[in-house]
Amino acid sequence: MKKVININFQGRVTPIEETAYDMLTKYVESLRVFFANEEGRDEIINDIEGRIAELFGEILKKGNTCIVESDVQTIISSMGRPEDFEAEEGNLHSQLGGEKSEEKKSYQQAYNASGNKKLFRNETNKVFGGVCAGIADYFGIDTLIVRILFILFGGLTFWIYFILWIAVPATSSQVIGSQRKRLFRDPDNKLIAGVCSGLAQYFGVQVWIPRVLFLIPFFSFVFQWGHWGWWDFPNFLSFSFSPGSLFIYIIFWLVLPEAKSAADKLEMKGEKVDLNNIKSTIQGDMEGFKDRAKVFGNEIKEKAQEFGDNFTKSTNRFASEATTVARSSGGGIGRAIAMIVKVFVYFILGSLLFGLVAALFGVGVAFTGLLPAYSYVLDEGFQKLLSWGALIFFVWVPVIAVVTWIIRRLTGKRGNSGIIKLTFAGLWILGWICFINLIITLRNEFRYRNYPTEQTVSIANPAVNKLEIKTAPFGKYYTGSWLRMEPFASFDEDTVYVRNIRLRIVKSDNDSFKVVMVKMANASTKTDAERIANRINFSAVQKDSVLMLDRGISITRQEKFRNQQVIITVAVPVGKRILVNDNVGWGNDVRVDFGRNDDYWDWENSDDAKTYDWDRNVEYIMTAKGLERVNKDFNDENDGNNDEDEDSRRNALDQFRKSKDQLRKEMEQKQKELEQLNKELQAPADSTLYHYNQPPQEPTQKKDKAVTKTSGENAPNGMNDTAVMKYAL
Amino acid sequence: MNIDNTQSQMRKGVLEFCILSVIRQGEVYPSDIVEKMKAANLNILEGTLYPLLTRLKNADFLTYRWVESNSGPPRKYFCMTEKGLAFYAELEATWNELANAVNELTGRGEQNNNS
Repeated sequence: MKKVININFQGRVTPIEETAYDMLTKYVESLRVFFANEEGRDEIINDIEGRIAELFGEILKKGNTCIVESDVQTIISSMGRPEDFEAEEGNLHSQLGGEKSEEKKSYQQAYNASGNKKLFRNETNKVFGGVCAGIADYFGIDTLIVRILFILFGGLTFWIYFILWIAVPATSSQVIGSQRKRLFRDPDNKLIAGVCSGLAQYFGVQVWIPRVLFLIPFFSFVFQWGHWGWWDFPNFLSFSFSPGSLFIYIIFWLVLPEAKSAADKLEMKGEKVDLNNIKSTIQGDMEGFKDRAKVFGNEIKEKAQEFGDNFTKSTNRFASEATTVARSSGGGIGRAIAMIVKVFVYFILGSLLFGLVAALFGVGVAFTGLLPAYSYVLDEGFQKLLSWGALIFFVWVPVIAVVTWIIRRLTGKRGNSGIIKLTFAGLWILGWICFINLIITLRNEFRYRNYPTEQTVSIANPAVNKLEIKTAPFGKYYTGSWLRMEPFASFDEDTVYVRNIRLRIVKSDNDSFKVVMVKMANASTKTDAERIANRINFSAVQKDSVLMLDRGISITRQEKFRNQQVIITVAVPVGKRILVNDNVGWGNDVRVDFGRNDDYWDWENSDDAKTYDWDRNVEYIMTAKGLERVNKDFNDENDGNNDEDEDSRRNALDQFRKSKDQLRKEMEQKQKELEQLNKELQAPADSTLYHYNQPPQEPTQKKDKAVTKTSGENAPNGMNDTAVMKYAL
Repeated sequence: MNIDNTQSQMRKGVLEFCILSVIRQGEVYPSDIVEKMKAANLNILEGTLYPLLTRLKNADFLTYRWVESNSGPPRKYFCMTEKGLAFYAELEATWNELANAVNELTGRGEQNNNS
């Protein structure tokens, strides 16, 4: 017993059983959900309803009193359920087995709950995964607002986004004709194996995104690989990723099938597989092939020009040949070996390329870091202009060109690369012109050298037994600059200190020390060179047994660096000692002349008398044969690595000596005090006037003395004090 | 790879072409298309046919007119537009290429020629 109701279906009164009616409404509703995103949805459903109404009419015409459940069932099965459409339109993904049933389930859920709103990712209005657009749809607000909110909250939302991307079904699974995508390797748009491109197709993002994600940890691996000399790259690129991305890539490579056929490619892109699409895909393939062939031909022509490109290309070819050979040999092992070879080749190539970029970048940074030094060398105006040209076009343009090339490779852009190449080449040629001009003008500035003349430096006490050579304390100038450039020791506000100093030690022909200074400079003319050389301000001052030298030659912006040079020759008499202190900053240039005749000294070539067994902080004694170590046995015993020991021992000795001196001084002081006290004790016996005349003075004097004592003034002052006191007495 | 899937893929590719070829022969009612295709042993669900027709119509390849019917609501009769004819010609060319290629590859062409 069933209830029959009359409905108005497509403009006709139709008697129908209530259960059949429920079935019908559910069916129509399922169609609505299925065609939710289809353009002309209402029309499609109207057409279908019209057809159903027609079929109902036929049934009623046959004499049936009403539509029953079985009628509706037959009609529905002849029209097809949404699941059947799905099967017919897109059961390509049934290959994925489990996933299809999952999709069906999600669809079923959507259908059952069609009255309620459900959260879907919006595939039609997406940037990455359509999460923002989906949320916006759900709450009925503007997508832009959701996107801005997502960006504003930063790091955490990244993970939320990712989870939603995975968890929330896409609307596209309900859109008719759209295919579930399959993950393939994309052979058309590949750099290595097409893994990144395939991933990009699968997730519907730009191809450079997966590429960069794969490359970042790879770069960090390169960074951790080794230090780049003085140029330690900051760690900003080494994320917590590991070179594991390489292995992930290899696993993808092994697991994912290559999209070989047109249908595969359409599936990969999630496009509908039909005749039209297959046609356009094949056409695209053909065009792409032509393009590639053309590009390849061009590149062979430009072989010399595009060394790097061809290098990768040839290895590419080699690798692919290796693969094909391996394939033809048929063995899976062969394929694996070929792949490993490929991976290594790419890895090495990548490292090389990256090293090249890093080196170029380093050169660029170095030359840019030298900017403050330019004004000490170059004239204002033309030369400065040339230097800027050389810096920008000669140094930085290749860096930018290589980086651009890499980015273009990653993003897979190939169009109008000819124009870009030409532009870079032109700019680089300009850079070469600037660079060469700069070198020529600079060479001109340095062409002539003054005639070296010896100036004897008058020293206070040439008869000392031992001379120690030191340089002025370091604190006088800037230190710890982040970039150290020889020969520029350090920069001041407008002065630079050049360590262009050489020290020679020779045998004196009499019995006193002699210091001779030679100043040299280059310039465009001989007279200019003389003038610049004479202007060099370098002082050598003797204090007791110490010869104090300047730390560098100071050069101002006006004077310019013209290879100013100072050669200090210290003549040591036979039997006397010399020591070069460790703090002589430019001390690598100490040369010792073992009793050679001064006249034969070659000013230009400084290497003739270089001695390699010369040590600093070691006392040497001048003998008739030349310099010798004072403590010969000691040094012979522990050769080389004894510097620290020696230093500490010497320091201890110095301290000991110092303390001895101090003790002696203190003793003298004490003795003097004692004498004085004795005198004071004796004084009252001599005269009683003292107490009357000088009572206020005595305590102050005593106090003064106490002060001088505690402040550790040296002996002469103390003597003066006592002298005053005597006078007062 | 399962066989059903490959078969349905093959069918799917040519579905539009077949439907258009039926419509090209003259004004037609959707269920007639289904009948004709069934007669040619090519099964299609009406539920898939309607959206396809709507899409083709929206792309200006087809047009339709309402015809009163005694057995129900008015019917939509579809026929080709100029644009649809051009589109069909292109598809036909592609199909011929494909068919030739497939025949040549499978060796059926020679058999046909021989017989």
